Amino acid sequence: MGGSLGRIWVLAGATFTQLVRMKTFYFLLIFCALVALAGSLNIMAYNAEQQMKLVKDVSLGAMSLFASIFGIVATAMLIPRDMEDRTLYTILAKPVPRVEYLIGKLLGVLMVIGVSLAAMHLFFSGVLYARQEMLLADDMTMMADRVDLTEEDVQSYAERVREQGVTWNLVNATGAIFLKACVVTASAMVISTVATTSLFTIIVSVLVFFIGHVQALARTYWVDVEGGGVVAKLFSALVALVFPDYQLYNVIDGVVSGEWIPFGAMLKLVGLTAFYVGIYTVVAYLVFAEKEL
Amino acid sequence: MVEDDTREEKRGGEEVPAVRIEHLVKDFAVPFRREKLRAVGGISLEMAAGEVYGLIGPNGSGKSTTMKVLLGLIAATSGRTAIFGVSSRRVSSRREVGYLPENPYFYKHVSGAETLRGYGRLCGVRGGALAERIGELLELVDLEDASDRRLGGYSKGMLQRIGLAQALIQDPRLVVLDEPTAGVDPAGSRKMRDLILEMKGRGISVILCSHLLEQVQEVCDRVGIIHRGKLVKEGALEELINIEEQTDIVLENAPAELLEEIRATVEGSAARLVRMGHPRTTLERLFLRETGGEEGEERRGG
Repeated sequence: MGGSLGRIWVLAGATFTQLVRMKTFYFLLIFCALVALAGSLNIMAYNAEQQMKLVKDVSLGAMSLFASIFGIVATAMLIPRDMEDRTLYTILAKPVPRVEYLIGKLLGVLMVIGVSLAAMHLFFSGVLYARQEMLLADDMTMMADRVDLTEEDVQSYAERVREQGVTWNLVNATGAIFLKACVVTASAMVISTVATTSLFTIIVSVLVFFIGHVQALARTYWVDVEGGGVVAKLFSALVALVFPDYQLYNVIDGVVSGEWIPFGAMLKLVGLTAFYVGIYTVVAYLVFAEKEL
Repeated sequence: MVEDDTREEKRGGEEVPAVRIEHLVKDFAVPFRREKLRAVGGISLEMAAGEVYGLIGPNGSGKSTTMKVLLGLIAATSGRTAIFGVSSRRVSSRREVGYLPENPYFYKHVSGAETLRGYGRLCGVRGGALAERIGELLELVDLEDASDRRLGGYSKGMLQRIGLAQALIQDPRLVVLDEPTAGVDPAGSRKMRDLILEMKGRGISVILCSHLLEQVQEVCDRVGIIHRGKLVKEGALEELINIEEQTDIVLENAPAELLEEIRATVEGSAARLVRMGHPRTTLERLFLRETGGEEGEERRGG
């Protein structure tokens, strides 16, 4: 692999190695402990479906939190840090276009998030499957003694429990978490090209993250509400146009309650993510290309 | 951003200069103020291929800014800079350049060899050629034993040396060194001097930005003095520092009678004896001799 793609791959690989050696994956141990705890809790008031929902809720919530926080913090630490430490000078003094540097860094952070999410997904699926089989075995034993239940009732119950267990829907949920993290990371990259410190990047990126969760409200106000003040309209238009809509990625609640994410919806999320990441990468490049280092 | 004149051709067999800077001006915006700060005010200089050029001046005189414009890290307000005939505004101008900034920090979680591998691959060097080059450079900068150690454990001098190795990874024709011995102890400083001389021996063009005048004097062919953003003096080192009307004669084991005879001869002529006495070593040489960091210094006549 040579030329532009080769250089991007080298930068992405270096970023990945650097982040891994910063002991990023220690978070996975905490995650495993958390999921194992959720998987071992035996809350008597909960039935099998509810107990499995708990494992999914805790696991997917932790994965989403990790992916978004990591996307912001890692990006904030990498690019401004390279400027502060003059490492950026030595990279850009080589025949490396600035756009390749940005894409390489973005790709490196996303690779770490992707690998981490894949590892978390595997562990959590394993715990969920073990929990599912254990609860089913217990319930089946109890149901066998009940004369009022037909074989059909028992099978229907087992099916309902399995629908709350390990399904392809969980892959969709993990995919949606990853796609959201891609947008969060790309938006943090834009901010890091403007910022001069990591702290500023983190604070502003967190603000953008929160605003992104209410972007839909601003859009509705801008497009659908008639009347209203000019300033409020302009402000809501600005928020709707500049900030990403993170509500579109919030599929965890649905997956936890057993709603299936259609393939078309996932494709839409992929397209939306490509749009956001593309736009943010172009904006980051336009800012970074003119930046005086 | 791409100009028509981004590439100079050889004109009638004339060698393209390693560096050409023409009427370079660089202004920086000052927050909350309308007027800008002029860091470089119309510098022009040319450096032939294979030369070691010393750019000297006090802190804040515009040396680093000039180098950053040359390397395309910042844009000139006006004027032009080119490396081997290619405008600095083009990424391709940096194919044959190595740069060591002042006080560089590299990724501390990777080893010296991994650092060089990364920079080499960025320059398109791969496979066996890269492995061989890394070995050569680690030997050159005397870091073979520390090649697998993470940079977080390197001393300042070691970081400077790995920085020099990364600058040389693609075997560039031009190396830009910005204060390469800042914060380095005398032994490390001497090592850096030897490496610059070695590069000179290999025909590599070197720009050395420094305010350590003794070091510049030891290694440079030509010198430019920058003061307040302007090039106030420029030329061949020998021409600049020679005192034409004076002559040095250094004798070893001369008896007192001979010295008296010389003194009498001089007094009987039109010449004037300015100074006679024992030459002094430098504090740096004394330090190196006493700390054992100066191998072969005496052999070289220090």
